[in-house]
Amino acid sequence: MAQTTATPNRGYGRWTPLWFLAPAVLTLFLIGIYPTIFALVTSFRQYNITRPRDGFPFIGFENYINVLSDSTFWSSLLLTARFYVTVLPIQIVLGVAIALLLHKPGMGFLKSLARVTLVVPLATTYAVVGLIGRLIFNRDFGVANQFLNWIGFPGFDWLGSQSGAFAAIAIMDIWQWTPFCALLFLAGLSMVPGEIEEAARLETSSKLALLRYVQLPYLLPGLTAVMILRSADVLKLFDMVFVMTRGGPGSATDLVSVYIQRVGFRVFDLGTASAQAILLLILTIVISRLYIRLIYREVN
Amino acid sequence: MKRMLKICASFAAIAAATASMPTAAFADWLETAAAPLKGTEISGIFLDRPGYRAIIKLLPEFEKKTGIKVNYEIVPYENTREKQVLNFTSQGDLTMALVDLVWIGEFAESGWIDPIENFSKDASITDPNLKLDGFFPLLLNAFGTWGGTTYGLPFDNYSGLLFYNSCQLKDAGFDKPPATWEELKDVYAPKLTDASKKQYAFALQSLRGETQSADSFMRFLWPFGGSLLNKEFKSNLMSKESQAGLNFRQDLMKYMPPGIVSYDHAEAVNALAQGQVSMITEWSAFYGTLVDPSTSKLGDCLGVAPEPAGPAGRLPALGGFSLAVAAQASEAQKKATWLFIQWATSEEIAKPYVEAGGVSGRMAVYNDPDIKAKYKFVEPMVASWQAGVPEFRPRFPAWPAISEVIAEWGTKMMLGEVTVEGGSKEIGTRTEEILGKEGYYDGKKALLQ
Repeated sequence: MAQTTATPNRGYGRWTPLWFLAPAVLTLFLIGIYPTIFALVTSFRQYNITRPRDGFPFIGFENYINVLSDSTFWSSLLLTARFYVTVLPIQIVLGVAIALLLHKPGMGFLKSLARVTLVVPLATTYAVVGLIGRLIFNRDFGVANQFLNWIGFPGFDWLGSQSGAFAAIAIMDIWQWTPFCALLFLAGLSMVPGEIEEAARLETSSKLALLRYVQLPYLLPGLTAVMILRSADVLKLFDMVFVMTRGGPGSATDLVSVYIQRVGFRVFDLGTASAQAILLLILTIVISRLYIRLIYREVN
Repeated sequence: MKRMLKICASFAAIAAATASMPTAAFADWLETAAAPLKGTEISGIFLDRPGYRAIIKLLPEFEKKTGIKVNYEIVPYENTREKQVLNFTSQGDLTMALVDLVWIGEFAESGWIDPIENFSKDASITDPNLKLDGFFPLLLNAFGTWGGTTYGLPFDNYSGLLFYNSCQLKDAGFDKPPATWEELKDVYAPKLTDASKKQYAFALQSLRGETQSADSFMRFLWPFGGSLLNKEFKSNLMSKESQAGLNFRQDLMKYMPPGIVSYDHAEAVNALAQGQVSMITEWSAFYGTLVDPSTSKLGDCLGVAPEPAGPAGRLPALGGFSLAVAAQASEAQKKATWLFIQWATSEEIAKPYVEAGGVSGRMAVYNDPDIKAKYKFVEPMVASWQAGVPEFRPRFPAWPAISEVIAEWGTKMMLGEVTVEGGSKEIGTRTEEILGKEGYYDGKKALLQ
């Protein structure tokens, strides 16, 4: 007796995968791609929404020329780069140190607790981090000065001086993002095969050698991710800085995102602000490609 | 005896009826006008400040009388303009505009708010007792009027005042506050400052942002005879008078707490409230915070006076908000919003509004002996509103961009990163660039500020 071996179709057709993918693609288009295209088009227009009578004509590359010849844009971009090279190495070093501590065998419960605690700064809203920062670095009743007094140093005018304000926003950023680095590095360390690590521990007693030759290769993908994500993140860091210092005093904490927000939502010159944002997007892509080319290595 | 009692009762009833007559008449008018609008919803933006908390307290009365539902969202000041501009440009749901005096030019020129004349000519929706001449002329002119047309009615009204710790002044040998800026700096400040005890004579809120541009920088131009712009809309910051004012601010800094460029309103008010400084110049709206024992140690030591005078006279900081009907609203919503605005700024509710913590723009309420006796800030504030400069900060649409320039270079100046002269030149150049782009120098735009 002949038996039918073909499985029933049950509605699966040529377009089925498309339907499954459609919601994700549509959402991505609406929240990611459409705004980017809109910003790109806007960057070629004179587009100030508080001057509707002037219309929104296309003006070619004029916004880009204005941005590239704007000394404030360049100085805020340089300040952002300074901020990035200040915070990132500290976050990487502290992140690796925390990850290595959590990777050590033993103390299971405490390590689980520490891992959960690491998520707290990450889950804190940027604006709240800014508010906490204003309290911590208050000259008169902030805990930062209290701490300095305890260890025998005089209080410091954190938010009222240029160097102090820059240091204050850097410290808050380090507090918030070091746990992210630690978690990524911890994930990298957990990828090291147990037998290789064990063999290496028998071979050498040097922890530095273990880190350099066995663990580091597994940390590189995480390091690349940290560098890419933090670059993008620092370029759009706004809320915390705005709440803490509003970009001041003077222009001491006037990061590029704070400047773009000002052009976009105080002056409402969306054409110029879009050109600035598109330039930053290009910069982020170039930096990311460089990181991947120079640092990223697959572990064999 | 019974007859006597009846007569007394009749007199009492007549007296009560007479006393409540204006309110009753007002209520009658409002109810009649609102009858066809029952169920209409209107919406606007409020701030987290005493004047708004006061009107929210009184709001159920309006909603009960009119059947109009008032929706409001409380937004921080720094985001208010952004939120409203985005709403108006995207044809959003706001039916009422909250207009800071420096936004009136932008909102009016962009066509986002309707002139009140559109509504006041319709007797069926206009308070017979509207009395525009009952507002302080300075407030109606500065907060609600642009190019000779009135768009909004003054709602949340401020004047810069000198708040001081009378006990500290007394201990230093002064039985009254300084009358002039010169006196404040040269006579009072040295005796009231002792840096070793972290005690300072004066705090000037100077945080980067509108606080720096409006509350710190501009405050030292007008009383010294200076101004931001001259008659041709060119920078006037290099004039002798403007330079004198800005240099004065720089000199006064040695009597202020270190890090004054990080002080916003809250920090300056708190410094006075906790006894760390002896004097501040702040908006009248902060009176409530300074008398509240839960936020202030001052108690009976709180003194309030008009801002000190400069060589050009007493020209204190002027600030505040008007309410206007949004042009994007539907006809019914516009009418309902107009009713709300008239009610919220009326003479009839001025007293309960002040008692609930608001500062009315109506003159009559400040003649009330109860109000005069109860609120120390009334007398100096009324004195400040007798004369003043409506364009204390220019009210044209370019102000937000210029304010940002002043905020940056004003704080740099205070920190000594640039000289007063260098900073003034920079602000002047950049201001003229902005005004040039706006078309003020090629005759495209009237020189209105």
